[in-house]
Amino acid sequence: MAWVTGCYLAYLALPIVLLIVGSIGEIWLNTLLPHGLTGRWYLDVWSDGSFRRAFVVSLEVAAATCLVTTLIGLPLAYGIYGAGSRGVRAAGRLIALLPIAVPPLVLGFGFVLVFSSDVLPYLGSLWVLIAGHVVLTLPYIVQTLVADMRHLRLGTLLQAAESLGASGPRRFFDIVVPSLRHSLGSGLVTVAALSIGEFQLSNLVAGFLTRPYPVVLLQAFYGATGFACAATTILLALALLGSVTGSLAARGTGAAGAASA
Amino acid sequence: MTASTLALEDVAFAYPGSGFRIERLDLAVAPGDLVAVIGASGSGKSTVLKLAAGFLAPTRGRIVIDGADVTGAPPRMRDLGVVFQAYALFPHMTALENVAYPLKVRGVAGRREQAMRMLDVVGLAAFAERRPDQLSGGQQQRVALARALVFRPRALLLDEPLSALDAALRGEMRDEIRRLQRQHAIATLHVTHDQEEALSMADRVVVMREGRIEQAGTPRQLYEAPRTRWVASFVGRANLWEGVVRETAAVETPIGLLRANALRLSLGTRVTVLVRPENVRLGAAADGANTFRGRLVRDRFLGATRRYDLEVTGGTIVGETPESNAIDVVHIPPDRVQLIQ
Repeated sequence: MAWVTGCYLAYLALPIVLLIVGSIGEIWLNTLLPHGLTGRWYLDVWSDGSFRRAFVVSLEVAAATCLVTTLIGLPLAYGIYGAGSRGVRAAGRLIALLPIAVPPLVLGFGFVLVFSSDVLPYLGSLWVLIAGHVVLTLPYIVQTLVADMRHLRLGTLLQAAESLGASGPRRFFDIVVPSLRHSLGSGLVTVAALSIGEFQLSNLVAGFLTRPYPVVLLQAFYGATGFACAATTILLALALLGSVTGSLAARGTGAAGAASA
Repeated sequence: MTASTLALEDVAFAYPGSGFRIERLDLAVAPGDLVAVIGASGSGKSTVLKLAAGFLAPTRGRIVIDGADVTGAPPRMRDLGVVFQAYALFPHMTALENVAYPLKVRGVAGRREQAMRMLDVVGLAAFAERRPDQLSGGQQQRVALARALVFRPRALLLDEPLSALDAALRGEMRDEIRRLQRQHAIATLHVTHDQEEALSMADRVVVMREGRIEQAGTPRQLYEAPRTRWVASFVGRANLWEGVVRETAAVETPIGLLRANALRLSLGTRVTVLVRPENVRLGAAADGANTFRGRLVRDRFLGATRRYDLEVTGGTIVGETPESNAIDVVHIPPDRVQLIQ
């Protein structure tokens, strides 16, 4: 069993290892591994203005997406969990899950149609890009939060808080937010990772100055292998950074809520 | 008559989309009393607690606390301490923070000291900084009790507070709850499915069945003078036989003619005969009355006592005895034969 797990993990890690190896290899042409050792591909990526801008855009979009999905997802999950009617709960879940069922490409076309009109001529703006990412990632955070609310029996905790004298907003900030810090953290890790790696919708709705990293990355594959590997490795590091930041931010929110209680 | 601390007056309630309903329910808890509400699953006992707490709103009637009508008031305005079945301690707070929480929402100064004192009362001062998942079930229960009492509520509501504990701890916690309840002289409504818990703790017991009160009274009244066959079978163990009054002091039952103390019932009246297992005596009666010979079909060792089933002509007699000798003949003293109409 252990060797099966080992093989599987190796299979998963192999592309990442090859990317890292390729990003520091001098020349890689028709050989199993590259020849020579260099750091110049990273310097080349860094000196390329479009990559630098895309890097910043991706971080901004991921941060904003995390913030907006938290602000919308938490009350939405709370509403779905607390809905008295079973039908309302089912409808809420369905609406929240819809973006997962619809391919990002279809959503992207929808955004193009809506935001390229004269009424809403915002296609290419950062806000439209963020809105697209929010629509795509919201279901993941809502599902995670609703599942955790059920697991924690949040309804009983809220009844307890209410019986102890806590008002609605107080219950939300004293009990709901800190109780859900772990699921919020894991939800935000997913949101950040998805946002940073998102290509299909971003490619359709981003403007020239708001292209996120994955969209710009496509250009790298028309150039040297080392350059493409370095640019992709940076994307991996970016996704990791986004995930860790999202998780830490959620823990910080929860810890602050707990401390104030 | 003493005014009640907590009263449900002519209360009605129905869960939408279900056949279950409570109709014309009256229930009162006097100051300092512990009233236990017992009943089978679906009897409505938890609904009564939720109505009192304000988690559900009655469709008719009033909820009165200390003379004030609080029917429309939200739970947070009722000033009731509630202890939940699964404790409902806030997982992200320490024991001390949990207990201090009701004082915090009320803006009470010196709340940490007060909470600490209450933790000391329940014997958990040393565990103040632990989170709920670092406490045992019994300790969590004590924290929940401390949290429900620390803000000096007008009444205490206990929703099956001991059901998640093991048997040994349950006994200990019964005494602990009773001690705290008496110490604070607080009116308490205790909902439980455990009749032994209710009988051992309560000043008064309310037996519920299908959304209505079947009988209410002291534990002794319920046990010794149940009004219906259902209450007799639900509260404690019982031998129950259908019978017809045949003489001034005898009832004809499937197991034979049972003598009882002089009856005030007319001949031919249909009754249910109740004999508690502990009132069945080993051996034959001196005058031969209510003596039955049979075959022992089940014998259960219960520690201090044993419970046996003796198969006799026409039925089975369940008895309890501390004796360990062979059992083939038993008798039922006539003064231990109760009749329910």
